[in-house]
Amino acid sequence: MQPSKFLYFCEHGLQEIALGIMALVYTTRIIWFLGFKAGGERQAPTGSGDADTRKGILYSWANIVMPWAMESTRRKPFFYAQFVIFHLGVTAAIGLSFLIPYGHYLSDSREELQEGLLGGTAMVWFLQAIIGAAFVVAVVRIVRRVSDPYIRAISSPDDYFSLVLLTVWFLSAVLAAPNQFAEGEGYLLAFFILTAFFLIYVPFSKISHYLYYPFTRYYLGKSLGYRGVFPILRR
Amino acid sequence: MSEKKARSHKAEKVIERLGQKLSRQIAGSMVACVHCGMCTESCHYVLANPGDPTYAPAYKADKIRKLFKRHYDWTGRFFPWWVKAGSVYTDADLEELKDTVFGKCTNCRRCSLNCPMGVDLASFNRMARGLLVSVGVMPEGVAVVSKDQWEIGNQMGVLKEDYLETLEWMAEELQDELDDPQADIPVDKTDCEVVYSINPREVKYDPRSISDAAKIFHFAGENWTMPSEGWDMTNFGLFSGDDDLGGAVARRLYEKVSELRGKKLVISECGHGYRSTRCEGPNWAKQDVPFEMESSVLTMLRYVKEGRIKVDKTRNTTSVTFHDSCNNARSCGLTEEPRELLNLVCTDFREMTPNRAENYCCTGGGGAMSMSEYTPRRLKSGKVKADQLKATGAKVVVTSCHNCVDGLADVIRHYKLDMEVTQLVNLVANALVIPEKAAPSAEEKVAQEKVAALESAKPVALPLADLKFVVADDEPDQLAFLSTVFEDYGATVVTATNGDETLETVRREKPDLLTLDLEMPGLNVGDVFETLRKDPELEDLKVCIITGRPELRKLIYDRSVRVPEGYLDKPVTEETLLLTVRKILGIHEHET
Ligand code: SF4
Ligand code: SF4
Repeated sequence: MQPSKFLYFCEHGLQEIALGIMALVYTTRIIWFLGFKAGGERQAPTGSGDADTRKGILYSWANIVMPWAMESTRRKPFFYAQFVIFHLGVTAAIGLSFLIPYGHYLSDSREELQEGLLGGTAMVWFLQAIIGAAFVVAVVRIVRRVSDPYIRAISSPDDYFSLVLLTVWFLSAVLAAPNQFAEGEGYLLAFFILTAFFLIYVPFSKISHYLYYPFTRYYLGKSLGYRGVFPILRR
Repeated sequence: MSEKKARSHKAEKVIERLGQKLSRQIAGSMVACVHCGMCTESCHYVLANPGDPTYAPAYKADKIRKLFKRHYDWTGRFFPWWVKAGSVYTDADLEELKDTVFGKCTNCRRCSLNCPMGVDLASFNRMARGLLVSVGVMPEGVAVVSKDQWEIGNQMGVLKEDYLETLEWMAEELQDELDDPQADIPVDKTDCEVVYSINPREVKYDPRSISDAAKIFHFAGENWTMPSEGWDMTNFGLFSGDDDLGGAVARRLYEKVSELRGKKLVISECGHGYRSTRCEGPNWAKQDVPFEMESSVLTMLRYVKEGRIKVDKTRNTTSVTFHDSCNNARSCGLTEEPRELLNLVCTDFREMTPNRAENYCCTGGGGAMSMSEYTPRRLKSGKVKADQLKATGAKVVVTSCHNCVDGLADVIRHYKLDMEVTQLVNLVANALVIPEKAAPSAEEKVAQEKVAALESAKPVALPLADLKFVVADDEPDQLAFLSTVFEDYGATVVTATNGDETLETVRREKPDLLTLDLEMPGLNVGDVFETLRKDPELEDLKVCIITGRPELRKLIYDRSVRVPEGYLDKPVTEETLLLTVRKILGIHEHET
């Protein structure tokens, strides 16, 4: 059995259009961002003699996988674990959005794929487990954003909407993961329509932070590496 | 979308200038925040004000970020409410922003190091300060200090003659102390290895640190000098966000060193001075610096390591801890050398927790000491520092920053900690092993013994004998302490405990010196001071302010009368008290 034409469009054409828009907006964003002149440092390096810009940049980029490096992550291992699960969930859900429509290139036919990669197998459970855990974390994050006065005070409608959007998207991904279109296309349609919306909305929302992340951490690492602050010494 | 609402002239300028201030680093920090709140607890203001989200770094950042979003970011331009973008329209909006960027953040950069996204709030908070300063919106203290640094050339308004007089005085003190006419403080000597620059606070309130440094240079056999101008290595541009001021101040210093053909500029212990002169200065001044620059901590450490000076750590046996200045640790990586030096000159060094780049601000950073309107807030936030200090159990906190000395002294006083603040230069000078002079010949010995016998036969003259002091203070302990010290050294002391009594007593007694507390009941102390200054019969009266409320200084210093001859922060030690009083009255050490 083949998926309906509409589902096929949502899985392919719609995603390609959304990806195209996202790529265009991101490219424009990067050009816009690079239009700001980067500040430089004229002085000789400081620090205890081993100041190294490159080391600083690498340390800065790697910070995210070194929860011990920052007090904020060191003191809140549970929060850090949430962060890891949430982002693994995003990665898995994005992976799923490619795996369903294009996975059959890895096998001989769509049906085979269903039987193989996504046919109620360990792979589906694995993806469902990761994305499901991310869904739980997302719910916890919504509760936190609403109930913690510090977070509430800094939250904008975009923050709430982005979080709710991701939460619903995670849920749809969990439900769509088995790819059982023969038993009803609802979950798959929801997942792919949400994915397309997500792709178009992201560049205009705070979710685009990952686009800037390499830059902000690069410049911070460059400066603090040159000044001998990064890597941070703890004794 | 076009702006419909009318904007005040100042608000218009702020928006216009924002664009000119945006570097890629700042723009990155503007767009990258995900409002995760991870930075919240890294700020000492937050920790000291539980439950108040307005102190959270991201909340404060958003006050600035909203402008960027409204005027530069796409979503913010078209759907401002969606991303909490906003603008400033009135002068009141600017005042509100001022309260945040000057009054709720010391630019300590602790949150920047705790943000997973690499958002550097401290940098763009400084940028926002600069924007406000450019339209004249700033705390009064910032305006006063900036003006002094622009016009007089240093941020405490120290006149050239006062500076040179202090150097001369300290040189004489040193010669007396060491009984060595070669121990000098050279000024404007050319082609030296070291040109030594200082913080004007040292001239005004802590001249001992100048003579201590001179002593170290002397025993290290250094070919050094101090410049007669361009000697202030501090830079209020760092605090006010005014890059033009930053550049002008740095240039002054660099040009003077070049003019003297100095090989190295040594910067005395000061966090913001070191950062401004060593790191940011060349960038603000847009010029490459043709000589080396280093912190005096490195210089002293090198002298010890190279054997140029000998130190005996058993001379500093009191327990000490070390406070890392934010600027040194988080912006210049100067964390290990002070510790290495401390371990060489002290027997009992205890680490503070957290430390190095994770240390908490002394509360006086970002120019906070000059913004008296925020003092209660600052002192409240000092709870974090006070707890940190107390936990060390140390009796002395050492810091390589003059600003931190003031900030910490305030915290110690406010939270009644049994501690003192000092700097490495003082500890190194104290630990110095002074080389023995060559033994005198037999004839010299006989002559010396004769002189000694004659001296001992003379009656001992007390250094403050024949002098009359009025001590004005409403704290009984302080009154007793000051009176006892002065009387022990021979002065006649009359006391006063309020403003009216002070005025009356001074008029009646016509003392040589008045020590004046700034906070006493009765007549306003500022008015008392001004009245006395204007009294033609009291032209020769010397005044020394002794206060526990430095923020009240403007009560006195803002008046258009001659400034006090001396100033001391409470708690004051006997040694500092006598040194200052002798300086005011022109009495040399050998006379005591
Ligand atoms: S500044 Fe950084 S840590 Fe703070 S809320 Fe924003 S992204 Fe999170
Ligand atoms: S720079 Fe320091 S004072 Fe300012 S918000 Fe960050 S942690 Fe707080």
